[in-house]
Amino acid sequence: MDFGFSTEQQKLRQDLLAFIKDHVTEYVIAEMDAAEDEMESSGQSRALGHRGPLVSALYEKIAERGWFGYSYPKEYGGGGGDRVSQNIIEEELLRVGINIGLAGSGAPAIMAAGTEEQKHYYLPKLIKMEYYFALGFTEPHAGADLAALRCRAVRQGDHFIINGQKMYTTSAHYATHIYLMARTDPEASRHDGISIFIFPMDTPGLTVRPLWTIQNNPRAPRGTCYGDARSNEVFFEDVKIHESCLLGKENQGWRVGSMGLNLDRVGASRYLRSVRRDEDIVNWLKSNDFGGYSPGDNAAIRDKVAEMWIEAQVCRLMTLRSMSIVERGGQFSYEGSAEKVWSPEHGVRTTEAITQMLGPYASLLNGSPFAVEKGVFAHNTMGAFQSGINHGSVQIMRDQVAKRGLEMPSQRRAKKA
Amino acid sequence: MDVLLTDEEKMVVASAREFLEGECSTTLVRQMEKDARGYPADLLKKAADMGWTGMCLPEAFGGQALPLIYLGLVMQEVGRALAPLPLHCTAVASMAIASAASNALKQQILPAVCGGDVVLTWAFSEKDPRLLPETVQLTAQQQGDHFVLNGSKMFVDFFVASDHCLVAARTSQPNSLSDGISLFLVDSKASGISHVALKTLAKDQQCEVIFKDVKVSQSQLVGELHQGWPVMAKTLDLATVLLCTQMLGATRMDAEMAIDHAKFREAFGQPIGAFQSIQHTCADMIISIDGGELLAYEALWKMDNGMPAAVEVSQAKAFCNEKCIAVVRNSQSILGGIGFMMEFDLHLWYRRVTAWAMRLGTSFEHRERIAHALLDLPGKVVLGQPVPVVVTT
Repeated sequence: MDFGFSTEQQKLRQDLLAFIKDHVTEYVIAEMDAAEDEMESSGQSRALGHRGPLVSALYEKIAERGWFGYSYPKEYGGGGGDRVSQNIIEEELLRVGINIGLAGSGAPAIMAAGTEEQKHYYLPKLIKMEYYFALGFTEPHAGADLAALRCRAVRQGDHFIINGQKMYTTSAHYATHIYLMARTDPEASRHDGISIFIFPMDTPGLTVRPLWTIQNNPRAPRGTCYGDARSNEVFFEDVKIHESCLLGKENQGWRVGSMGLNLDRVGASRYLRSVRRDEDIVNWLKSNDFGGYSPGDNAAIRDKVAEMWIEAQVCRLMTLRSMSIVERGGQFSYEGSAEKVWSPEHGVRTTEAITQMLGPYASLLNGSPFAVEKGVFAHNTMGAFQSGINHGSVQIMRDQVAKRGLEMPSQRRAKKA
Repeated sequence: MDVLLTDEEKMVVASAREFLEGECSTTLVRQMEKDARGYPADLLKKAADMGWTGMCLPEAFGGQALPLIYLGLVMQEVGRALAPLPLHCTAVASMAIASAASNALKQQILPAVCGGDVVLTWAFSEKDPRLLPETVQLTAQQQGDHFVLNGSKMFVDFFVASDHCLVAARTSQPNSLSDGISLFLVDSKASGISHVALKTLAKDQQCEVIFKDVKVSQSQLVGELHQGWPVMAKTLDLATVLLCTQMLGATRMDAEMAIDHAKFREAFGQPIGAFQSIQHTCADMIISIDGGELLAYEALWKMDNGMPAAVEVSQAKAFCNEKCIAVVRNSQSILGGIGFMMEFDLHLWYRRVTAWAMRLGTSFEHRERIAHALLDLPGKVVLGQPVPVVVTT
């Protein structure tokens, strides 16, 4: 057992902190905010043109240091390093609002199931954030029960014709490609007739319609847990794609999809989403009061703060456990699912507790007079619970802990009358 | 960075589990609940042969000088089996002696501890059970080359079976130089000592111990006069984190019994473990135990690496207190009536886990320690960085 970072890893963190101090200026962040505003209102794709000059220069500097895709093999554009170091890089950059993490990017699935050609084509661009996939899983009738999906891909010679609809495709308005799960064999059992395709968002027949979230207007401050103002519906009307767009074998998409998801649910991004408010509230309470009343002196609040701090440590340690399993080359039994229950639910508990420490001040949104910390606690109230819904709900995750981790039996279906 | 058990650590766990599965049946556990000494002497001797009593003691005194994490893992297995052994109290007192006593005292005590020939215990709490220096009222008055102890101590573990007892006494009022506390290793059979047995939820052997004009030689002083609190504070932290691993071992066993039961017990035409209400409860139980383990292991790892660990110890104990009680209560719920009938075993775990959650600091005390470190001391906190914040100039 070793809970410490190596000398190299500690130095890496120091290098990152120094880099951030020098290069991640308020102008860079302002440019990123402006680009996001523009993408939300009009953009269809995150072509490089959407990246302003300051951000482009910053990304070049990150690339020069080899920090993109740190644990991915060098031959695919990665750094060939260890997973824990990659986590350190992702964590420190994410703390200042720059997400270069590959969780949710589709890269883990391509590593696991892609052809050599696909790996060489996609991975270097995903790693440098030049490509970005919209994850096309959820449908109007298939959310938690994903295998009920209906979006159809019909083979025509060496092509497929796609028809159907996807929902809550969060990044569809700035993604370059869609990572699509569709039904290729409706006669097969639910899980056996599904395939995964990757193809450009500008393929004819594909349209994106915005779905505005409750974080819309005012925009949530950076660092809010699930502060996205926009999600999307994606429609496919006779979209024709070549069979080379298949990821993994035809009709084996369910297995490919779950391989990717296993690693996509954990890591720096979800960890930080769950625990940032714990730091925020402690640091706020240390030096603030409301007209002479210091909530940080209240015994009940102190007790709650400590309780939440302990829970946050468990989030951190569960992330380290997942990293340790990956680093040893193992597969999760239930540990990733356990983390995906604990961390999002902690994020909700701490957010709700903070609302009761700050009272009406916690209700003030970004930009409001008297808003506390740019309204992040109010926005988190609208965002934290989303972490328990997306990428496998906490209820589904508990099923997995029970079935995979504890080998508990499946429920027998009620007999039809 | 690798928070999983190493092969060596897994071996420690496996060998301890195998040993206790062979040696410690629930029949023995029940028998010892009624025994005044509370443990079978031959089992302690065998545990010593396994190397458990001298695990982290210096090699010069017959110990193995292994990291504390190994002892933590052994205590976890001891908890799992509910082994009736005075290991926790002996380990805690012996570690205090190893860290602060004179060479002569170490030579007198530690080899005998390693051999399983003596039982040690320790006495800190008094009427006010909080683990704070100001709660110590028992006095030790210097008279020539000895001290005279007067006062009483509460919740002293395995006192009847013990040979020596490490006692925290007040030798001066607190001032700017010290908390005024000194530690003495007292012969448990010394004249002037009496005890009152307590009847506890765990049915373990705890006593109130009364000291009336008990003479203790100066050579029995552990550490410097008046400077006992820093030694005691570290000892209490060690005792607390070892109790956490013991609780966690017991809690995991308890949860496993409930999960196994759920797989076989049928209701509504199927195993109750097929119902999501039971499955999700069991998932939460395992997540809680895993979380407690990670917290406790990190605290031990910090101690092993000479880092401050007081906040980490409090994190582990506050978490275990609440989560372990919830887990064993949920197990009771899954087993229904079976769980609280004397003839079945589950209550043996339930009663101990809940009782251990009450010892060595309540959730409120530990969380106040954490809140103090977070809120009352300077510096900006960052998760993953030490608390209290190390302020660099």
